[in-house]
Amino acid sequence: MTFRSRRTLRLGSLAAAGVLLYALPYGLGSYAIHVVDVAIIFALLAMGLGLVMGIAGQVNLAQIAFFGVGAYATALFTTQAGFGFWVSAVLAMLAAVVAGLVVGFPALRVQSHYLGIVTLGLALAFLNWIINTPMAGGADGISGIPVPPLGAVDLRDEYLYYYLEIVAFLMALGFGLFVVRTPLGRRMKAMRDDPLAAGAIGAEIPNLRMTAFVLASLYGGLAGVLYAGLIRYVAPESFSIANMFLLLAMVIVGGRQSLWGCVVGAVGLSLIREWLVDFSTYAQLGYGLVVVLMVVFAPTGLAGVPVRVAERIDRRRSADRAVLRPFRPYEPLDGAEHAGPEVVGLEVVGISKHFRGVKALSEVAFTVEAGAIHGVVGPNGSGKTTLFNVISGLYKATAGQVVMDGRRITDARPYRLSQAGIARTFQNLRLFGALTVRDNVLVALDRTRTRFIWRYALWPVGVWRYDRELRHRADALLDRFGLADYAGATPGALPYGIQRRIEIARAMACAPRLLLLDEPAAGLNGEEVRQLSEIVRSIRDSGVTVIVIEHNMGFVMSLCARVTVLSGGRVIADGTPAEVVATPAVIEAYLGDESMSDAPLDLPTEVK
Amino acid sequence: MQVFLQTLVGGLSLGAIYALVAMGFSLVYRTMGLVNFAHGNVVMIGAYVASTFYLTVKLPFVPAMVIALVITAGIGLVIERVLRPLENKDFDLMLIGTIGFGIVLEALATLIWGATGRAVRNPVQTAPLDVLGVRIRTYDLVVLGVTALAMVLLVLFLQRTKRGAAMQAVAMDHEAATAVGIHVGRSNAIAFSIGAGLAALAGGLAGPLLYVSPTMGGSLGIKGFAAAILGGFGSIPGAIVGGLGIGVLDSYSAGHFEGYSDLVTFLVFTAAIMIRPTGIFGERTVNRA
Repeated sequence: MTFRSRRTLRLGSLAAAGVLLYALPYGLGSYAIHVVDVAIIFALLAMGLGLVMGIAGQVNLAQIAFFGVGAYATALFTTQAGFGFWVSAVLAMLAAVVAGLVVGFPALRVQSHYLGIVTLGLALAFLNWIINTPMAGGADGISGIPVPPLGAVDLRDEYLYYYLEIVAFLMALGFGLFVVRTPLGRRMKAMRDDPLAAGAIGAEIPNLRMTAFVLASLYGGLAGVLYAGLIRYVAPESFSIANMFLLLAMVIVGGRQSLWGCVVGAVGLSLIREWLVDFSTYAQLGYGLVVVLMVVFAPTGLAGVPVRVAERIDRRRSADRAVLRPFRPYEPLDGAEHAGPEVVGLEVVGISKHFRGVKALSEVAFTVEAGAIHGVVGPNGSGKTTLFNVISGLYKATAGQVVMDGRRITDARPYRLSQAGIARTFQNLRLFGALTVRDNVLVALDRTRTRFIWRYALWPVGVWRYDRELRHRADALLDRFGLADYAGATPGALPYGIQRRIEIARAMACAPRLLLLDEPAAGLNGEEVRQLSEIVRSIRDSGVTVIVIEHNMGFVMSLCARVTVLSGGRVIADGTPAEVVATPAVIEAYLGDESMSDAPLDLPTEVK
Repeated sequence: MQVFLQTLVGGLSLGAIYALVAMGFSLVYRTMGLVNFAHGNVVMIGAYVASTFYLTVKLPFVPAMVIALVITAGIGLVIERVLRPLENKDFDLMLIGTIGFGIVLEALATLIWGATGRAVRNPVQTAPLDVLGVRIRTYDLVVLGVTALAMVLLVLFLQRTKRGAAMQAVAMDHEAATAVGIHVGRSNAIAFSIGAGLAALAGGLAGPLLYVSPTMGGSLGIKGFAAAILGGFGSIPGAIVGGLGIGVLDSYSAGHFEGYSDLVTFLVFTAAIMIRPTGIFGERTVNRA
């Protein structure tokens, strides 16, 4: 299908959906429209849950409490404080955001099932509070919430209320889709797939987690306000844990990683629940079973089914037409500029790292010259990767400091170091598995700080423009690394050598001044190693200082100006490759016995 | 002082129940890295089966408990078998899958036993002991004794038997365990059924203390889970300490804050987890890059 016809199709189906949404009330009875109104509210809630759980990967079992806070705050502000409905609505949204911050706060410390139990506990705490506080009317709840005034439109009419809800729903859906497809959403997805790697390329993980919870609470709060305006009565039972699990079922059945999926799941289960209202226990049994079956057989939910089908067809048709193209070198810096301010060195001063008595590093010290390729070698377990983890901020050093560009950078958070110009690759590859190759690079290209997200509220067009510019740059970068054919693929399915190259491309997307490569040649064949040394040289020539850990001696010896040798967490030699190879301690570390030292050490010195 | 001690005693017997629930959570977690959110509902099924055989079939209390144990162990086997494809793959999905099972079990209980609950007669009909003016029910002592016995047996099983050692091996590295000839699936299934059996023990013992209803699993499960985390997730002694801790906390917050006891309990729990995420006996894990 051509681009143009696909676009026409998309516009056509959007127009058809618009007409359908507009005309829907005309075909429904008064009870049916009430059911639809409630279903839309659940769709809003489900989108919020999808954003925090499916996109940002934060287990949140308190979404129903955000809903409750929105609804109860509206009820309290209108009936007790005497504010108008819309003023109360705004205040209720603020209250929901505060609830989002409270529930999200533990996510800074705990994740996964711990976060699940904490959020569930907080949801129960909220329920416990509204049942007991006299202000909220106990189990009877609060009635007498006024009808939202809207000019001449009487919102007591549930048909007219439907249109109000649809407008809110479409805006929320549009905003959600916009977030998912632009820098903020990509960062959240990167954090979901691998928080460590996301931090290492500059995502401010704590702020991002809080942002995810605030987004979820905004959707929950909006749903709560609309619910209060629709039913005009709130009671604790609407916000029970059973309803939380129903909401969870909606998101899982529809597909938690797709907002469309969340909407489909929410509307579908709402309608089914209404249809089976006289057999509610059987309905409960049914949706419980469906959740179990979905997680086992269709973990991506209904939304994932078309993708999976398409993948299966695709695999048969276009088997390996994509090729890895040669790397196009960077423009080298002129000799005069070579020692310019952009090019930085690194000084490691007496770094020690102990894990409960295991001394992984003891007083490691060496200097990396600006604009050089520096090798770090040593037997397995000698502390090389630990050293990288200390330099890139994943580990806190027990003692000593790391100085870059005259600044002490020890113990800074990984994202700070990334912003300061340090990029790294990982020994065991840490690509974002559920993101495409292009998105992997796009996450790294985005160098904005968290405060950028204000623009989502104030000036979305600016965000959109910025995103378009990023995409151009991503395509250029992928082209340079010869990866253009793989831009739309997910990395997991690609050959190992290509994944290694993607990781280097992603690190270079951070526009680093210091690049740390952890065993970049591991698992590569001879030709791939040759290409790799070409890439690393070009990166160095463009003004980036490179430190490389490697076991492939030929690669290290031919590439590095200086080499530091670690053994048992200590530096045993430091110098040019030729000097290092001749050091008795190095020979002993590699061959195990000094008596062997007169045996010729056969290290190739050049790779061609 | 008297009130203080009386509250403490009340908290300890409920805490012993939480400890049993927490032990089930921890055993399953340490052997297969799975958090079973349906565990609370298995406790509820255990309570219903035990009370049905005790009250309706009029069996003595102990045989009724044994039947409940066998039935819940079977339920555990089913849950493990269905979720086995997800083991060691997607943690969050497995968690959601067990929530699904929890929903199913609660619906089944409502269908079989109805939505209204039942009270269970105390099986130990002797006068309460009086120690320093504090009344201690004999049944509370039975609950504490059974819990202590269960912990000792479980620790002995894990440390002294070949099967227990195999489970520990699976927990540390399931691939290496396969390589040395351990049937990982079977080992996990056994762990899961023991966990479910512990749930039945907790449920059966909780019957006379609490009110048995389809929704009792929710609060017992959540508090048992909180206990497991507070003690250090995966640690058996931690489960005991965490369980008693949550029980006592619950008992005091019920005394001081009345209706708001859940609110206080969960806020304190959240604060505790924020301060020390690994719990009291938890191991600190290092992220490997």
